[in-house]
Amino acid sequence: MNAVNDTTPLLQVKNLTVGFRAGKELLTAVDGADLTIYRGQTVAIVGESGSGKSTLAHAVIGLLPGNGHVSGGEILFDGNDIAHARKDAIMALRGSSIGLVPQDPMSNLNPLWRVGTQIKEALVANGVAKGAAADQRVVELLEEAGLPDAERRARQYPHEFSGGMRQRALIAMGLAARPQLLIADEPTSALDVTVQKQILDHLDQLTDTLGVAVMLITHDLGLAAERADHLVVMYRGRVVESGPALDILQDPQHPYTKRLVSSAPSLASQRLSSQRARAEVREQAVQTAAEIAAEVSHSESQLGEGRDDIVVVENLTKIFKLRGAKPWQSVDFAAVDDVSFRLRRGTTTAIVGESGSGKSTVARMVLDLLPPTSGTVMFDGKNLRDLKSKTDRLRLRRQMQPVFQNPYASLDPLYSIYQSIAEPLNTHDVGTKKEREAKVRDLLDKVSLPTTVMSRYPGELSGGQRQRVAIARALALDPEVVICDEAVSALDVLVQAQILELLNDLQAELGLSYLFITHDLAVVRQIADNVLVMQNGKVVESSSVSEVFDNPREAYTQRLLDAIPGGSIPLGA
Amino acid sequence: MWWYVGKRLLQTIPVFLGATLILFILLKLRPGDPILNLAGNKPVSQEVRDALAAQYHLDDPLFVQWLQFAKNAITLNFGETFAGQPVFDLIKQTFPVTVVLAVMALAIDAILGITLGTIAGLRRNGWFDSSALVVSLLLLSVPIFVVGFVMQLVFGVKLGWVEPTVGPDWNIGKLLLPAIVLAIANFAYTIRLTRTSVAENLTADHVRTARAKGLSNGLVVRRHVLRNSLVPVVTYIGINLGSLMAGAIITETIFNIPGIGNAAYTAIQKGETSTVVAIVTFMVLVYVLMSLLVDLIYAVLDPRIRYV
Repeated sequence: MNAVNDTTPLLQVKNLTVGFRAGKELLTAVDGADLTIYRGQTVAIVGESGSGKSTLAHAVIGLLPGNGHVSGGEILFDGNDIAHARKDAIMALRGSSIGLVPQDPMSNLNPLWRVGTQIKEALVANGVAKGAAADQRVVELLEEAGLPDAERRARQYPHEFSGGMRQRALIAMGLAARPQLLIADEPTSALDVTVQKQILDHLDQLTDTLGVAVMLITHDLGLAAERADHLVVMYRGRVVESGPALDILQDPQHPYTKRLVSSAPSLASQRLSSQRARAEVREQAVQTAAEIAAEVSHSESQLGEGRDDIVVVENLTKIFKLRGAKPWQSVDFAAVDDVSFRLRRGTTTAIVGESGSGKSTVARMVLDLLPPTSGTVMFDGKNLRDLKSKTDRLRLRRQMQPVFQNPYASLDPLYSIYQSIAEPLNTHDVGTKKEREAKVRDLLDKVSLPTTVMSRYPGELSGGQRQRVAIARALALDPEVVICDEAVSALDVLVQAQILELLNDLQAELGLSYLFITHDLAVVRQIADNVLVMQNGKVVESSSVSEVFDNPREAYTQRLLDAIPGGSIPLGA
Repeated sequence: MWWYVGKRLLQTIPVFLGATLILFILLKLRPGDPILNLAGNKPVSQEVRDALAAQYHLDDPLFVQWLQFAKNAITLNFGETFAGQPVFDLIKQTFPVTVVLAVMALAIDAILGITLGTIAGLRRNGWFDSSALVVSLLLLSVPIFVVGFVMQLVFGVKLGWVEPTVGPDWNIGKLLLPAIVLAIANFAYTIRLTRTSVAENLTADHVRTARAKGLSNGLVVRRHVLRNSLVPVVTYIGINLGSLMAGAIITETIFNIPGIGNAAYTAIQKGETSTVVAIVTFMVLVYVLMSLLVDLIYAVLDPRIRYV
């Protein structure tokens, strides 16, 4: 990106403090932040959730929620302080001078208005165009944002758009009145990696041509470094480091930045050290798993024969009936089409693909939560379809457990952490009350949570802590297989790294076998041994992790690899 | 959209049949001999008995009787009152005033409820919001006949602003006080619903995005907060028309309004079961049609519904 050499900064944030009133308490979300953006420059603000990066952005555009306010410092836009300006002065800036591309494309369009109408509003409100001219301009803007068939799309409602298309519409909206500064607040974190890359490429190109300065907010350091020339790292409301992207990546100063650089999966996946670490984990896990297999083969109470391939999936197919063009017609949709793979004891097989590729449907069929249309799932030599008796089914559930994507939705908010983890033990009637409590303590210890969380409720825990609870719950019955369906996708990069490490440690210690479903190839290298790449319900590539990373056969796999942010940046030691 | 309308229309058929079935069963379960009832509880000869049974299909199988009952309901053939007047004529005479009363109450409910609810929602936790909540709670907790009698006494008798009762020659002015009384309980709930809905929408992501586009506060509220908030409110108000009709029985009796509620009340007092059933069946018809209308308005307000 070519920064225009202009001596006066477009945006200057000086010693900004933003506070929130929560009851009688005053919480400081942004604490003395400094930031400078020149015309045409792209500056990325990097930080975890709760670091104050979004609050900073909302302060700049004057959209802090009702209980938040600027309590110190100033925000100079083109030399004028907007932190203390009148409301109508800030309103005049919004849209016309400062644009916003919000975070979640699903919730940021009004579901009741046509997409075109919503973009037209921005044109009319900022006096750019009116009437038929505005309608014409809307189509141009949508085309510019990379939406094909823009004229028809402008007349559609948001629910007829996919996530990526909505985000394009939001970009068109943010740039409609040609602002000088565009605030992009995690514009792609709700999207698939490949869509993310397309959208960001397009945004880059657009803002470059238009000469718009961009304030890019993200939690992914790799992505930030790839897209911005200047980085600002925020931690707990403070700017802890700022400077040129490459300098920060290669020579981080602050301990938090160091941690980010060393463990963000997008960056870590490039390192050879992560492969070596994985090899060690696997060796240990396979050994432990073999001991367990020997036990299982002699045991009466456990399902299975102690085979090497603990899960064998053959020609698995799932066909859904969808509503056709006419109300009484239906169309067959093959969500999963002839998928076969083997999961070896003590190893991890990753299933990678974009949303809609059928990877989660595979997981649900392996878990016996969804009956396959055809094909078989064998668990340790037993066909799932033959498990008719209640005892057999209970045994299957004991030996195979899931961890789901969203730790906010997968824990019952009215159950205490203790109740959540102990529930499977109660259901399967394991041990006495005392033994159960001891087991819960042990599990919390395994997932590195203090036992004091037992009496707390999910609402009081952070996303990473909740995912640890979900893992502890999955391990409560000492399963042999754990199915992780996007288990780290909803988490911040650093938390992702921690959870991946935890999963690795547990695998080595307990000899677990993982089926790891993800849309993000970046995390695969740290956790998986084999990879299945899925597209439109079919397996397009299946081999070992190193083979896929170093020598991808399919163009689609290559595209997924290219989409890992920061992949092309040379790193320091 | 047309598929949605067609589906909704088809759905009203089982709803209507189900409702008539319940009414029919209630009718059959009522104690006493229908023929004796018909003859005013005097002994009747076998010939008269047979003739009446044939006339009213009382010897047919129950299923056939039910179909006959449903058919009569659809063709608005409700039989006659004890006085020999066709029940449909009675309905024709009394229904208009009830409709006017209900629509007036509905209008008061919608206009005041939505306006006050919106103001309360926009200024959440302000003094207006707090007092609106307290007042609506008060109104919700007082039964409608108490409100009716008190207002009749205060405005009709003591202050003499309006006539305390309506009587046979009604007009809109006379109906104002009863309409307010009828609206009060629903109106309190409309305020609360609108308030919650507006407050919730005000913090929605897309509203923030609308502000970021540079829209003025008024535009944001009109185009992005109000319309979204109205979806649940409209449903509630529409369904309410049913309870307004039910409430009409009490209000019409208090204010002596010659409406359908009053007619039903008189019929109940006289023990004219067949008239009561006819009126109730007619009300069921109206109610089914109203919910159909609400569903259609719902689809106009929310494009997502049209594709369900």
